[in-house]
Amino acid sequence: MKLRIRNETDFWSGVMFIAFGLFFAAFATRYDFGTAQVMGPAYFPTVLGGLLALVGVLVALAGLGREGEGGKLERFHFAELAWVLGAVLIYAAILRWAGLLVSMLALIVISSFASHEFRWKEAIILSIVMAVITYLVFIMGLKLTIPVLPAFLRN
Amino acid sequence: MELLDNLAIGFDTALTLQNLFYAFAGCLIGTLIGVLPGVGPVATLAMLLPTTYALEPTSALIMLAGIYYGAQYGGSTTAILVNLPGESSSVVTCLDGYQMARQGRAGAALGTAAIGSFIAGTFATVLVAAFAPPLTELAFKFGPAEYVSLMLLGLIGAVVLASGSLIKAVGMIVLGLLLGLVGTDVNSGVSRFSFGIPELTDGIGFVAVAMGVFGFAEIIANVEKKGQREVLTSNVGSVMPNGKEMKEAAPAVARGTLLGSILGILPGGGALLAAFAAYAVEKKLAGPNADPPFGKGNIRGVAGPESANNAGAQTSFIPMLTLGIPSNAVMALMIGAMTIHNIQPGPQVMTSNPTLFWGLIASMWIGNLMLVILNLPLIGLWIQLLKVPYRMLYPAILAFCCIGVYSINNTTFDVLVTVFFGALGYLFYKLHCEPAPLILGFILGPMMEENLRRAMLLSRGDPTTFVTSPLSLGLLLAALALLGIATFPAIKSKRQETFQEAD
Repeated sequence: MKLRIRNETDFWSGVMFIAFGLFFAAFATRYDFGTAQVMGPAYFPTVLGGLLALVGVLVALAGLGREGEGGKLERFHFAELAWVLGAVLIYAAILRWAGLLVSMLALIVISSFASHEFRWKEAIILSIVMAVITYLVFIMGLKLTIPVLPAFLRN
Repeated sequence: MELLDNLAIGFDTALTLQNLFYAFAGCLIGTLIGVLPGVGPVATLAMLLPTTYALEPTSALIMLAGIYYGAQYGGSTTAILVNLPGESSSVVTCLDGYQMARQGRAGAALGTAAIGSFIAGTFATVLVAAFAPPLTELAFKFGPAEYVSLMLLGLIGAVVLASGSLIKAVGMIVLGLLLGLVGTDVNSGVSRFSFGIPELTDGIGFVAVAMGVFGFAEIIANVEKKGQREVLTSNVGSVMPNGKEMKEAAPAVARGTLLGSILGILPGGGALLAAFAAYAVEKKLAGPNADPPFGKGNIRGVAGPESANNAGAQTSFIPMLTLGIPSNAVMALMIGAMTIHNIQPGPQVMTSNPTLFWGLIASMWIGNLMLVILNLPLIGLWIQLLKVPYRMLYPAILAFCCIGVYSINNTTFDVLVTVFFGALGYLFYKLHCEPAPLILGFILGPMMEENLRRAMLLSRGDPTTFVTSPLSLGLLLAALALLGIATFPAIKSKRQETFQEAD
């Protein structure tokens, strides 16, 4: 019998739940399980992981069985995802030594690439404006301790 | 009158110049961020949390509460003017509010929303003040078994009231509970699921999770949508509803207020459910001959849900303040904020910190008043903000998120965690898995495990402890009833119908 996925979002949600559930339950085996009276660190995660996997099976089965009502998986836009999250990763990576101002410029310009209406001039102006605003609000105003200047310019 | 005495303490605290300023600042900034399309109260609160670190706890909570109402009101403004809900509780406001705006009555819709919210807020504040003390007393009778049952009730409530698939909501909650367990186990000192990463031994930061699944994921989802937003700015019209509109809106406001207040107290309830229910009620009461029809700009479709969501937003503070248990994602964030300020949420807050407790309640009303005063004249400013294209807004939103997450512990590790949850949140979005129950589970995970362990230790491993205590049994039966209601076929289809209103 060939299985047909009738509801893709349900089916893959189920798969995701099963994966997470099994992961947590399996990973927990390295800890002490304990007893019902004195629960070890593995007790609760194992029970929950098993429950999650079970829920996942039910969701996935629903995705297989249900009459094809919608549930079509939309396309993943990996380019947008990568620009936005990549910009944040770079921000996090350089913040300590490049300082707030430079990393803010990088964050804004790189994340702007995610838009299908990207314009260089606009992105650069916005990044400078945001660098100034964040400096005024978070450093001057709220006195947060974030390095402002690049490491070689600090004394 | 004890109630009046208590409120007097509250107003003494809330009316100091300093706290008035923070309530005002919170409302203003909250609205400012909440107006941004795609940024709901949860993301707004998470983003602005660091702005309150330096304040003393009372001022910080007053400001956060202000941010919450502001964000909610800002979301309604966006819903009416752009037909783009900032978050799910303004989804229903879009239906008739945007249609009103298209007919040149945006002003009346915005005015009705503001005035209705204020009336609802006033009523709900009194309700919170009246119900908090008796509930607090009840809370002192709670042992670990009762807490476990109560949390179970709350989680089941969140499942039943989530919009979308029941079973998927269960999955999201359990996943949230599991994620909440990452970090050092308090009983054994074992560092669980930390993969040898030292930062993870303290657990995953809840702001990072909230910002990732609500903020980042939302941005990516919005950016990928091509097509322009249409901002209705040509003719906002008078913000005062005319006589006929007022006559129609007034009873809807009253019904919305009552309904919202009740639904807000329920575990798992809050602004979202209140808004949906109020819309369904108004539509039902108006019948098929409503003029204009619902969905075509009927003012009752704005007045009812807007009052209800504000009343629900307010009364959802009740379980949080008295029991220390969050009933929705926003309250989970408020609890997080309290712990950052070293206040352990729970029944003891009222007695140990009366000025904070009553000050916060009094500031709810002040905040609502400020919103009316603030927002009606500032509508022009919000319209200007909405004209800024999204391609310039989202990098700015991203920037505030990044600084916010970083400054919680001054570590870039939290930013990386946010990126991870941003990607996961995007997956949830594509799989139509609602993230709100996950956040709730995340906060409740450690609490639930701790109380479960204590209860089982006290009962020497006998699980009947949960049904032999009458309080615990009652809560479990309530949970069971709630679950039963949700799976009952007639109600099930009704439930789907209510939530599908939005599609």
